[in-house]
Amino acid sequence: MMLWICAALAGLWVAGGGCQKSDSNQAGGQPGMTIGVSFETLQTEFWVAALGAFKAECGRRNIKMIQAIADGDANRQIEQVRNFITRKVDGIVMVPKDAKACLPIIKAANAANIPMVLFNRPPEKSEARSVAVVADNFELTRETVRWMIGEARKTGRKHKAMVLIGDLGDINAIGRRDGFDAAVKEAPEVIEVVARIPTEWSQEKAQAGVVNAFQANPDISFIFTSSDSLLPSIVSALKATGRYKKAGEPGHVILGGFDGDATAYQMLVEGYLDATGVQDVYFEVKACLQAIEDLRGGKVVPEVIKDPGFVIHQGNLKEMAPRMWGANVKR
Amino acid sequence: MAWWRRLVESEHLVLGLAVVCFGVMAPFTPGLTSGENLANLALTLLPLYMVAMGQTAVMITGGIDLSVTSIMAVASVLGAAVMSGEQGWLAGHPLAVPVGVLAMVGVGAVMGGLNGAAVVGLRMPPFIVTLTSMIFFSGLAVWVTNSQNIGALPAAFNAIGGRAWLALLVAVPLAVAMHLVLQRTVWGRWLFATGQNARAAKISGVPVGGVVVSAYVVSGLLAGVGAMMYTGQAESGSPVLGQRLLLDIVGATVLGGTSLFGGRGSVVWTLYGVLFFKLLDNGLNLMGLSHYNIMLIKGAVILVAATADAWRRRSTS
Repeated sequence: MMLWICAALAGLWVAGGGCQKSDSNQAGGQPGMTIGVSFETLQTEFWVAALGAFKAECGRRNIKMIQAIADGDANRQIEQVRNFITRKVDGIVMVPKDAKACLPIIKAANAANIPMVLFNRPPEKSEARSVAVVADNFELTRETVRWMIGEARKTGRKHKAMVLIGDLGDINAIGRRDGFDAAVKEAPEVIEVVARIPTEWSQEKAQAGVVNAFQANPDISFIFTSSDSLLPSIVSALKATGRYKKAGEPGHVILGGFDGDATAYQMLVEGYLDATGVQDVYFEVKACLQAIEDLRGGKVVPEVIKDPGFVIHQGNLKEMAPRMWGANVKR
Repeated sequence: MAWWRRLVESEHLVLGLAVVCFGVMAPFTPGLTSGENLANLALTLLPLYMVAMGQTAVMITGGIDLSVTSIMAVASVLGAAVMSGEQGWLAGHPLAVPVGVLAMVGVGAVMGGLNGAAVVGLRMPPFIVTLTSMIFFSGLAVWVTNSQNIGALPAAFNAIGGRAWLALLVAVPLAVAMHLVLQRTVWGRWLFATGQNARAAKISGVPVGGVVVSAYVVSGLLAGVGAMMYTGQAESGSPVLGQRLLLDIVGATVLGGTSLFGGRGSVVWTLYGVLFFKLLDNGLNLMGLSHYNIMLIKGAVILVAATADAWRRRSTS
């Protein structure tokens, strides 16, 4: 049995890329650099795409990347990042499980003089030093919803709106909610918000909330979801009520989202989705690795690097699709 | 094949596996043998061991406690609510840490007692009782905190989870006491007798109901101790603490050799199981293996352990 397990370990080590080789022909990066990338989860397309982008960008920069996935457990993430520190990596990129529990490991990385960059989620304010690369959730959501309001305005009537809100323990969800509120506040003559669905990023909660909202307000004609990952719940409810129509068709519900995943891309192509705010994963990944290189080079790096993202809609789909990570996942 | 049979039936098989795997991984796993890594290993191993020790007591009686992770979450947020320097009930008070620690351990024991009372009083299967309480306690922790972590915990408390020597100072006496109680006391024998055949134990005068309730109390209490260490590590009380740890807790306990069918178990074996489990985790992470491969290996190891358990039962029956 011992032989069996050890053979399995050795086999999986080789199969799993334990001995990943970096491409020495690629340009850029600091020779021989190793970074640890710790993700809280790989449960949605966004995180899988981001991890893939890290692998590709590390290869391009001649950086060896080791990865750890905490499977939604903050203590496991602490343990895994400590392992990175033990391995004396040259930098750490982390998607923290939550803003508070990541502070001890940032402090540990500070003590070991290892640059720490947080991807997509900032830490809570503290004396621990790190760089956070985050999407400008507020501004990007506001721009997306403003574009949707423009479409609503063209119909010449007032629309009843529903918004799906994320986990309010997640600062990204708060930014998106506030961005939505700011945009609709600018156009009270066009939009009346009649339903706010708390989803905690759960498909099941979103589905139940959307169905309830449609029962209470069957004439909802404007929907924004704080994450494209919740679009299937909305589509399901729209189909059930016979209101899943393409843009331009009578009865079309103006629909917008945030993230830019593969489902959103497909719905844009098919004409069911009006717009989505795209987090520029490629920009964020490059910014993370650049920040590590700059910190190691002694350069000053801002505490927060904002990804402005972009709004993709029916009007600019062909032009912007190459920059949309969800479009590339689909391909 | 006698040597093979002896090997599989050995009480120390899992310790041997842990040693061999450590030896196999060490030459090509950077940092595995460093003092810093061994201290990390101790810090991650001890809280899991505390919770798995409680699970061992329950499993010896033939039960299972699926609610330990939710008990940990409630204990974590309650202790943090007492101690937090920002909004804690005893913020800044010199008794904040001892009261917080007592609250964590105490609430664990009370919740464990409720589980035990339900199993005995309602004559319901432990699986259903603890599954239900897992859902209830988990919802309670999220509800009272509004899904928010509670931070600003005192440094003296955080040290329990963050410094290996302090964690050892808490864990070693508890483990030794638990071992002695299980092996050398009447209560320990009652526990095994209940797990082997509850009806026969009852006829022989064992207070089976009380023994079962006490096993769940011990499980809850040790879940509180585990929560204390995990909370100290994260320096914040979390309503989802340990939510993903159930597989590790049950897996490590069974891997050590404690039987899922009751009547057989030891906290020393559980230590072997936890050691092997955490060593695997630690080594595979240091190797840079992907998440999927780590899960595959851990799943395979649990399957092997369950098979070995069934083999032992067959060969000893």
